Amino acid sequence: MTPTTDETRGVRAITWARRKQATAGVWREFARDRGGLIGLGGLVLIVLLALLAPVLTDETALEVTNTTAQPRQPPSAQAWLGTDRDGISVLLLVWWGARVSLLIGFSAALLSVFIGTAVGILAAHFGGWLSTTLMRFTDFFLVLPTLVLAIALSAVLPRGIGTIVLAIGVASWPTTARLARAQTLTIEARPYIERAKALGAGHRHVIGKHVLPAVLPLVFAHTTLVVANSIIAESTLSFLGVGDPSRPSWGGILQAAFNSGAVSQGAWWYLLPPGIGIVIVVLCFTLCGRALETVLNPRLRGQR
Amino acid sequence: MSDVLTGIEQPADEEAARGAPRGSGAVRFLLGKLGSALLSLALVVVLGFLLFRMIPGDPVVTMTRGRPVSPEQLAELRERLGVDKPMWQQFVDYIGGLLRGDLGTSYLFQRPVADLLTERLGPTLLLVGTATLLAIVLGLWFGIRSAWRRNSRFDKVSTGTALTLWSMPQFWLGLLLLIAFAGVFPSGGMRYSDTPPDVFSQTLDVAYHLVLPCLTLTAAVYAQYLLVMRSSLLEEMNAEYLTTARAKGLRDDLVRRRHAVPNALLPTVTLVFLQFGMVLNGAVAVETVYSWPGLGLLTYEALSGPDLPVLQGAFLVLAAAVILMNVLADLLYRVLDPRVRAT
Amino acid sequence: MTENPGTDGAVLLELRELSVRYRAARDELPAVRGVNLRLGAGETLGLAGESGCGKSTLAMSVLRLLPRSARVDGQVLLDGEDVAAMRWGRLRAVRWASASVVFQGAMHALNPVRKVYDQIAEPILLHDSDQRPDEPPAVRHRVHELLDQVELPAGKAEAFPHELSGGQKQRVMIAMALACDPRLVIADEPTTALDVIVQAQVLELMSRLVAEHHIGLIMISHDLSVLASTCQHIAVMYDGEIVERAPSEQLMRAPQHAHSKALAAAFPTIGDPASRFAPATSNPLPEQPSERPVGEPVLRTEELRVSFRARGGRTVRAVDGVDLEVGENEIVALVGQSGSGKTTLARTLLGLQRAESGRVLFRGTPLPTSTSGLRDYRRQVQLVLQDPTSALNPRHSVYEAVAEGPRIHGLTTDEIGRVTRALEAAELRPAERFMSALPHELSGGQKQRVVIAGALALEPAVLVADEPVASLDASVRGEILALLLRLRIELGLSALVITHDLGLAWNIADRVAVMYRGELVEVGTVEDVLLDPRHEYTRSLLAAVPGGTHRAEPANGLRH
Repeated sequence: MTPTTDETRGVRAITWARRKQATAGVWREFARDRGGLIGLGGLVLIVLLALLAPVLTDETALEVTNTTAQPRQPPSAQAWLGTDRDGISVLLLVWWGARVSLLIGFSAALLSVFIGTAVGILAAHFGGWLSTTLMRFTDFFLVLPTLVLAIALSAVLPRGIGTIVLAIGVASWPTTARLARAQTLTIEARPYIERAKALGAGHRHVIGKHVLPAVLPLVFAHTTLVVANSIIAESTLSFLGVGDPSRPSWGGILQAAFNSGAVSQGAWWYLLPPGIGIVIVVLCFTLCGRALETVLNPRLRGQR
Repeated sequence: MSDVLTGIEQPADEEAARGAPRGSGAVRFLLGKLGSALLSLALVVVLGFLLFRMIPGDPVVTMTRGRPVSPEQLAELRERLGVDKPMWQQFVDYIGGLLRGDLGTSYLFQRPVADLLTERLGPTLLLVGTATLLAIVLGLWFGIRSAWRRNSRFDKVSTGTALTLWSMPQFWLGLLLLIAFAGVFPSGGMRYSDTPPDVFSQTLDVAYHLVLPCLTLTAAVYAQYLLVMRSSLLEEMNAEYLTTARAKGLRDDLVRRRHAVPNALLPTVTLVFLQFGMVLNGAVAVETVYSWPGLGLLTYEALSGPDLPVLQGAFLVLAAAVILMNVLADLLYRVLDPRVRAT
Repeated sequence: MTENPGTDGAVLLELRELSVRYRAARDELPAVRGVNLRLGAGETLGLAGESGCGKSTLAMSVLRLLPRSARVDGQVLLDGEDVAAMRWGRLRAVRWASASVVFQGAMHALNPVRKVYDQIAEPILLHDSDQRPDEPPAVRHRVHELLDQVELPAGKAEAFPHELSGGQKQRVMIAMALACDPRLVIADEPTTALDVIVQAQVLELMSRLVAEHHIGLIMISHDLSVLASTCQHIAVMYDGEIVERAPSEQLMRAPQHAHSKALAAAFPTIGDPASRFAPATSNPLPEQPSERPVGEPVLRTEELRVSFRARGGRTVRAVDGVDLEVGENEIVALVGQSGSGKTTLARTLLGLQRAESGRVLFRGTPLPTSTSGLRDYRRQVQLVLQDPTSALNPRHSVYEAVAEGPRIHGLTTDEIGRVTRALEAAELRPAERFMSALPHELSGGQKQRVVIAGALALEPAVLVADEPVASLDASVRGEILALLLRLRIELGLSALVITHDLGLAWNIADRVAVMYRGELVEVGTVEDVLLDPRHEYTRSLLAAVPGGTHRAEPANGLRH
């Protein structure tokens, strides 16, 4: 006999109602944090603008051959944020650069969080020599100067967005691994895991039903911070000259500005906008992440 | 009460007594930490090899990317770097070289990498050391005040400033300061060529050049320390022993100074040392902006080659420095926390 | 309500219409409502009540140690001076010098990074104007004297808190409380985290010191028998008010208020036939069948040994050669103090811990070692844990928690029916009302019923319950014990109940096994073991029960 559809629906309804309630609760808590809301609003706006760049602007204006404006002009009615060394509008450069910076930031963060979560949960759940080895490795990568490692990686690999994503992702996963491991250990020390085991649960049940649902929200909150870090790391790497010159990110624009002598000429309009872009995006991510962490990690509640 | 009763607490007593002979524990602790540091060092050495030798493609082609080179030049470079030999032979040569202090020859500078690294180590130590000390003092002081008066105006302003500084790429902050202080402070380098050679003038000159790079590096690092110190003190604020201290009639500032801060310092101190890698990241960016002749600038210069032997050498030295700081962190933690001492 | 002025007339502490409210997100939650209380010099008063009744808030308001969100109305007169009206300087001078506190968890109430000496000397240096800070010999002498009073060697002054056992830490707290010769000591659950026997020692010490130094004592506890053994008077608090105050003897014998009755009944007197097989419950139990067939042992251990590798490479044997059996339709209580190996034994019985040697047999077959074998075994033997709050995943609804076992075992047919039956067997009726609830919406007793329902959903033959009522309020305790007894009578479910509480064994168990340092030192029927203990350890356990036992001198006879 199989359960009737009515029954399964009833059971699912209970589960879904529970999940909806939990999500609503998280949102209510999050909405109380003004910083978090501002960060979220800012992010939505920036991501939308970046996505809509091809609709709202003319990409061909980025080509050196298509520009007629004078190079290095301060802001004016024609070019609101002035022009760069080739006479291209800085506003347009920054707008399109946002796409590259955000793309790399998100991809590198996803890569790093994926490696970190897997390593962290495995190390905490299985214990024994596997755990020792994994954690030794994590600790080792944790203390390595990430930028130097990323520089080394991007120096030896072919240039391009993929290399930068790989370099940042590989260099920055250990913090996530630590977090996932700590949270898994906390959860696995709870008596309800003991209860599940006494009920006959195996590894898959314990990880799938108890550990992952508790670890993922924290990892999610942490991811926003990792994205922020990745965007900074990307800008630094591009500034040092390992970026993709054909699709300049914010860091790439700054490198071009630095190398073309914008500092000595006092061309502040060339240097300020990309940097302010980075600061705003990173700040938004950080505010969001801190607010989310406070909501999802009750231990931190009332601290920030 | 019977004998059994009085005997009950014995096990715990024995447990406590075992913690007592600390001498042998300290030696074992030290050896353990040194052992794991050596293991990390070995991993760094292996990683240094793998990173630069086992990469997809020909390292010589990578190094000469974008430049016209003849096949003869390539072959010569191959032989000089030793990449024409089998992999195991290369590894043996690499380890042997390391043990003799030979890190190969720079392709760009045409000098031994080891000499280059020693020459550039001093300026980096000066910059990183000064900035870290300043950052610790500022970060801890602001962090403690912010946490103790949570949500006050002071807290909001200092935490907000820290978050903003933390969100800034350090090189960009450097560029801004360069523009802002153009003419007030030198725009790069470590000393003017025309400074008189006496010690006083030289010191003053270096200090003058140090101001901007040091300010830039401190800004980002202190922000991090502030946030860590603040949150670990906040975590201690609900501790019950603080209620005990208040119940004893202690003044608020004594409760903070004697009870809360010593406990909150523990996680902060570890983090300060563990995040030394982050300070080095910053140093690379800051040295590049200000042409400060340290390891970071060397890394940047080598990157434009790319000069693989120099990059490899810089990677080894910087990673070893971080591992050394970790050993120091463990030792310091042991001094600060009696609970670690007992195990 | 009777007011008792102090024995020598002086009023030490007086609370007049004291109310405390906590500011929550929107409204204010009252914790204490209009309490009047007087304590004379040298008097001892016990403050009893369940969690959340406001007793700790009341105690903390005496020294104005409440969190900032608390609003206090009414007066707290300490030696006739209103604490609420004191300036900060005066308040700091009064704290610890006039009244000191022994906090609940000595573990957390001591600063982990400072030596015992510094922590005891701190209030002396702060308050005693005679003890100049530049006179350390006198201070040192005083600290050693205090440690001597609490029966700790002077050498412990140089120890850090983590180097002390739980009992020793509580002694340090007491020494600290006495440091400035206060006239009032407030002890907030001073023995809750301690083991039965250590608890008896600490209580005896406190009673002695309070009497010797003529100190007024307010002691807070959820356990009436603890208070009765230390205090002259007991005040029972319920929902922020004092509902009854009487001399201890009288309150224990003839409680007036319904809530006092519930508290007094919760901890049975061992040897009292009225409470044998009759835990305090509002729901009458079915008739006990007079003749019960004692069948084959369902669960049996043979020479069971379990060891752990402790830090430093030593092995610690937690269970050492245990032969124990639980028969069909039988409840066995396994008693012993913490660290005696009880919990390890339980985990080994469930296959959660590997035995070093010896066997666990279920209906004559050894415990399987394969993963699938173990899973089948666990359908038969189920676990109920101590703290229901942590034994339930806070994210899972009651339905999911109860259905978890059947789902693991692939029992997907008629899942709703199965869950409903299990919930109703655990007396959560109607089952539908509870299914979609999350654990935090339930009371402690309801949560424990959900845990039990989760075990029952697999229709097991044996329940292993590890301290099933230790973390529950007194009034709920009887209900859960009655449930276990009812399951035995109605479903024939056998149970091994692990506990430090001899009263529990008296309430529901058929047989009792006493465990001491990994070994069973005495096994037998409840009457035999508890009323006529043979082993010295059993005797000391019984002696440590604060309420004492109800026992005729020739050991085996019951009074009445």
